[in-house]
Amino acid sequence: MSKQDAVTSLPVPLARLAKVVRSKNAGPTQLTVDIFFHDADGYARAVACAGLQAPAVAARYGLRPQQVRRFELPGILAIKLSMPRRRCAGDPGDGDLYGAQQHVPLLEVRL
Amino acid sequence: MTPRQTPASAGLLSAERRGRAAANEGQGVGAIGANGVNGANGASGPVGAVGRLLRSHRPGEEPLRVLSASGQLGYGIVGASLERGLARQPHFIGCDMGSIDPGPYYLGSGEMAPPEDMVRRDLALVLGAARRLNIPLLIGSAGTAGARPHLEATLELVREVAQAQGLRMRLALIESDVDPGILTRALAEGRLHPLDDGDGPLPFPSAADIEACTHRVAQCGTETFIRALTPEVDVVLAGRACDTAIFAALPEMLGYDPGLALHMAKIVECTSLCCDPGGRDAILAELWPDHFVLESMNPALRATPASVAAHALYEQADPWFVEEPGGTLDLRSARYEAEGERRTRVAGARFTPRPQPTLKIEGACHVGARAVLLAGIADPVMQQELPRALEQVEAKVRSLVALAPGQRWALHPHAYGQGAITPRPPGGAGGTGAPCELGLVLEFIASDMALARTVAAVLKQNRRQHGYPGRLSTAGNLAFPFTPSELVAGEAYGFCLYHRLDGEDPAHIFRLRIENIGLAPVPVPANREARP
Repeated sequence: MSKQDAVTSLPVPLARLAKVVRSKNAGPTQLTVDIFFHDADGYARAVACAGLQAPAVAARYGLRPQQVRRFELPGILAIKLSMPRRRCAGDPGDGDLYGAQQHVPLLEVRL
Repeated sequence: MTPRQTPASAGLLSAERRGRAAANEGQGVGAIGANGVNGANGASGPVGAVGRLLRSHRPGEEPLRVLSASGQLGYGIVGASLERGLARQPHFIGCDMGSIDPGPYYLGSGEMAPPEDMVRRDLALVLGAARRLNIPLLIGSAGTAGARPHLEATLELVREVAQAQGLRMRLALIESDVDPGILTRALAEGRLHPLDDGDGPLPFPSAADIEACTHRVAQCGTETFIRALTPEVDVVLAGRACDTAIFAALPEMLGYDPGLALHMAKIVECTSLCCDPGGRDAILAELWPDHFVLESMNPALRATPASVAAHALYEQADPWFVEEPGGTLDLRSARYEAEGERRTRVAGARFTPRPQPTLKIEGACHVGARAVLLAGIADPVMQQELPRALEQVEAKVRSLVALAPGQRWALHPHAYGQGAITPRPPGGAGGTGAPCELGLVLEFIASDMALARTVAAVLKQNRRQHGYPGRLSTAGNLAFPFTPSELVAGEAYGFCLYHRLDGEDPAHIFRLRIENIGLAPVPVPANREARP
């Protein structure tokens, strides 16, 4: 499947094309989400998908577009998204000390 | 395993770096009786496991075998994997014991996160092994958060284990606590900076915030470990430390490339987490002058080029650059190649030193006493009304509970199913609408525990009977799992400092001292404090 084909195929949920979608604190003030894909087609599709661009991701997390940093790692078929946490890890009111469940808003992105 | 490096390549190692080890070797001069090992190499002064390694290892002739025994000492080292690692005759053992991950409570309170008996068990394994093989043991971020109470509690457990096993050792301790005066002065001079461009959730601290921290630590780097690794030392026990420094310091002293040493350190500090599947078993790195090879000591775990490369992303906001006190590790040119089925060869990372070292500072302060009320809600109308009902009941409690001067409290609802964990997607989870029931955690933070309990109890009674529009369930709103329903959840802490400190010499921040267990004291070198 060429990149063009990938873009024009019917959208499928991220969970179908990715083999790992994980989130974790990067220090107590930042969150980082790593998405690893099964194959180059899935990766190409994800790279081209608007839903995984920084502005769309920022909207899902209630952040400003410039607060999300996106890294593409074609060598290991991965996309990394790093962003500030809403609360410092472990602060009163924080619901996810390790930031381990913060990948969920991205599972519904359709590629 | 085929050596990929001819001894001639060792000539590339910088004379200056070899010199760092030589300079340290001079520091023990004039001391009394060696601890009996390899002391006849022409140098005076006692020779511990560190001196023995610095004198005997020649890069390029054989690999430096680095055994990472634990990434979280105190949660159970897998004994069989450790033994397999020891059978490979490692040159030194490293263990990471701490992290900022478990939250501000440990730094704030001075308590250790792992159970004490498990820490004792793991220390017994690695101390016994290191003394048996007479190789250096380096432990970083003692007692979880690496402040003074954590370091002292860990040292006490080391003493107990040494006594129980009849071990003798000379320990170098690194104290990572930072005097608040240093930080307030740095604040006034503009040398304290946010780590996230000021765009994150942590407000920039005031001098009062710095003073309010119960503990303030800096992460010491490779250069501080190098200062501690004098020849008479057998074990280094560091307060808060960069995970990498535990594993990169000895290779750098031996003349290995700092980029390569730090990259190796960055991977092995998590033990076998870089493998497929990931694990917590010991990992062995074989370091050569121009590459290193990783191998898990659990035969079921494979270090593959993909699994090792992917590990560079783990809990790291930027996959290419890793900031260390002494400079920046650049992973863009790192290469990963398979060496057989379950080993991976890594090369290519570069290290750029910065002119002035920077330090990462951590501080936590007491933010109140915590009480918790747990409840479930099955009524669909109540679920819909929840946010407004909570506001109304909280206002009612504020009118009922009188506060003395200085007293304060706050309520933090965790409404599971309504965005307690992640922002609530429009239209409900998966577009299916509201969940069929809802868990509710109400977190009260008050200036003291009595007030936290009071407001939790008063809110509970009012919340049970609160009337709301559309209410059918007029006999009660909440399903409580426990009695008493309000749980005392201890003291609460918050991070106050997670910042970059410029313009301070690490040698002034991190204090070193020597602790002798079963060995006679040696004269105190110029760069150390005498133990009182």
